[in-house]
Amino acid sequence: MFDRIGGVKMISEMVSTQETYGKTLVELGDENKDIFALEADLMRCSGSKLFEDKYPDRHLQLGIAEQNLVGVAAGLAAMGRIPYVSTFANFLTQRACDQIVMSLAYNKFNVKLVGSFAGITSGNNGGTHISVCDIAITRCIPNMKVMDPGDCNEFRHAIIAASKDEGPTYIRQAKGPMKTIFDNTHKFEIGKGYKFGDGKDITLVSAGITTSLAMDALATLQKENIKARLIHLPTIKPADSDLIIESAKATGAILTIENHSVLGGLGGLVSEIVSKNYPVIIDSIGLKDTWGLNADIEFQLKYFGFTVENIVKKSKELIAKK
Amino acid sequence: MEQRVEKLKKIANEIRINTFHAITKAGGGHYGGCLSLPEILTVLYFDSMNVDPKKLKDNSRDRFILSKGHGGPALYATLAARGYFPLSALDELDVPLSKFPKHIDRLKLDAIDVSSGALGQGLSIAVGMAISLKQQKKPNRAYIVLGDGECNSGQVWEAAMSASKYHLSNIIAIVDNNTYQLDGPIETVMPLEPFEKKWKSFGWKTFDIDGHDVKSLINTINKAKEEKSRPTVIIANTIKGKGISFMENATYWHSGTVSKEELNQCLIELEELK
Repeated sequence: MFDRIGGVKMISEMVSTQETYGKTLVELGDENKDIFALEADLMRCSGSKLFEDKYPDRHLQLGIAEQNLVGVAAGLAAMGRIPYVSTFANFLTQRACDQIVMSLAYNKFNVKLVGSFAGITSGNNGGTHISVCDIAITRCIPNMKVMDPGDCNEFRHAIIAASKDEGPTYIRQAKGPMKTIFDNTHKFEIGKGYKFGDGKDITLVSAGITTSLAMDALATLQKENIKARLIHLPTIKPADSDLIIESAKATGAILTIENHSVLGGLGGLVSEIVSKNYPVIIDSIGLKDTWGLNADIEFQLKYFGFTVENIVKKSKELIAKK
Repeated sequence: MEQRVEKLKKIANEIRINTFHAITKAGGGHYGGCLSLPEILTVLYFDSMNVDPKKLKDNSRDRFILSKGHGGPALYATLAARGYFPLSALDELDVPLSKFPKHIDRLKLDAIDVSSGALGQGLSIAVGMAISLKQQKKPNRAYIVLGDGECNSGQVWEAAMSASKYHLSNIIAIVDNNTYQLDGPIETVMPLEPFEKKWKSFGWKTFDIDGHDVKSLINTINKAKEEKSRPTVIIANTIKGKGISFMENATYWHSGTVSKEELNQCLIELEELK
C-alpha cells in the first residue's frame, strides 16, 4: 500500500528491526571477514542470532558485562576488525559509558554500537529499560557519530554506512517492528537530513520512530491548510545544520519530536544550531526530564504527546507565537 | 643467559634513571608506579615481545597495553632505550600538546597500541586483540601490564572471565604488584588477597614472582608462552618507588614533586644504581 506525503512515497508495512539487524550483519559479514557481532545476553532482542548461525567464530557472547563488552570491541578494532556491539540502548550507553568514552572514542576505534529497544519502544518493560538519555550521552562524545533511523530500510543503510565509515558510531534500534516509510531508492548518507514538503508556516524535525508519526502529522496539517515541512534527521551527529538553518529561515518556527529526553537530544541539538545561526521559536515533544513508563508503547506515545493531534496543536501554538 | 640478564638489568636501571629525570624535569608526577616498572618493561621490550621499532605497524608484531596508563614515563623511557625515538624526546614529557602526555595516547605516539588512563579497562581490550588473533590463527600475542590497584575494578574480572571462556592462551598479563595505590596500601584501600587464587578461580594460569628479578621475568614469560589453553597472569611483586629510598613503599610518592634537598639525595642514590 502506497501513498504520498510531502513528495515521499510511503509504504505502510511493518518490518522487524531484529530481522533487519541480523540479515544486514550477515550481508556485511559475507563481504567482509572483519565484521564481528558482540552481544551481552540480549542477542534475541537485537537479532544477531542469524549472524551467529552463519559465522560462529565472529559472534561473541560476552554475557551480562557491558563494560567488558565494549572493551573487547575496542580490542578487536585495535586489530583492524569491525565489531558491531549490541545491547539495550540504556545499558550500553549508561553502564558502559566510560568504556565508550575512553576505550572507544578516545582511541578513535572503529566500533559500531547498536542500542536496541531504544527509548519508549522498550514498551512495558518499565522505566529501568527505557533509554531517555542515550542520544544526549553519545552526542557529546568527541569522534562519535549518532544515528536514529526512521525505518528498517534506513536502519539497514545506517548499519552498512557505518561499516564504511572510519570511527565509532552509535545507532539506535527500535524494538520494532517499524513502519516502512522509505523504499529501496532512499539514499541514506551519514550526516544528511531529509526534507519533506516546502511549507513556510512551520518546520517539524523528527528522527527514529517519530518520523512516521511526523509524516502523518504533515498530512493532517496540509488538510488544515497549514503549510508545514518536515526534516527527518536520521543522523543526529554530525547533524545537517544547513538544512535546519535553511528551514528556520523559511518557516520561523520549529517543532522537534523525539523518542528521548527533550534535554540533550534532538530538541537540544536544533536549539543549539538555530540559536547560533538564525534564532526562531522552538518547542519540543519528548520526555520532559522524566523517565519512561511501565506501560505499553501505545500508552506511552499518547502520554508523552507523540500523537498527530498534539503535533498539530503544538504547531498551531508555535505559529501563533511567531 | 647470565650475560644477557646482566645486560637487561643494566638497561632496566638506565630506564629507571631516565624515567626519574623525565618526571622531575616535567615538574613531578607518578614516581612510585613508574619506578616499579622498569624490569617488567625491559624484559617485555628487550626479550619477550616480538616488536621492532623499525616496523611500527607490522601486523605480525605482538601488541602491548599498559593498562596502568600513569606508567607512561617509564614506558617512554623504555621505548627510547629500545630505539623507538631518541632519549632527548623524554624532555617533552608533559610539555603542552607534545606526544608524551602523563598518560599514554596512541593518537599522539605511533609506538603506543592503546591509550590508557581510565583504569581497569585494558584487560578487556587485550581480550578483543587476542580473540582477533586467535580467530585468524595468528601466532602473535597480546601482552598487558596492569596495576594492582586497578584490579579493584569489576571490569578487570569481567575481562578475566571472558579471556578464560575463549581460552585465550595468547594473553600474557603481568600485574605490577607494588601493593600501594593512590590513597594508601592496597590492603587498606581495597584488599585483593587472595589475589593469585582469584585469578586461578577465574581459570587463569598463574605465577607469583619477584617483579624486579630480570631472570625470573624472562623464564616465567617463556613458560607462559608454552601455555596452550589458558590465559596467563604473572603477579610480579614489585616495590613502589624502587630505587629512591624515601619513595619506596611510601603512599605520598604515588605522585609527587621532589624538593631541591630531596633531589640531591635522589641523584646520589641513582648514581649508585649505575
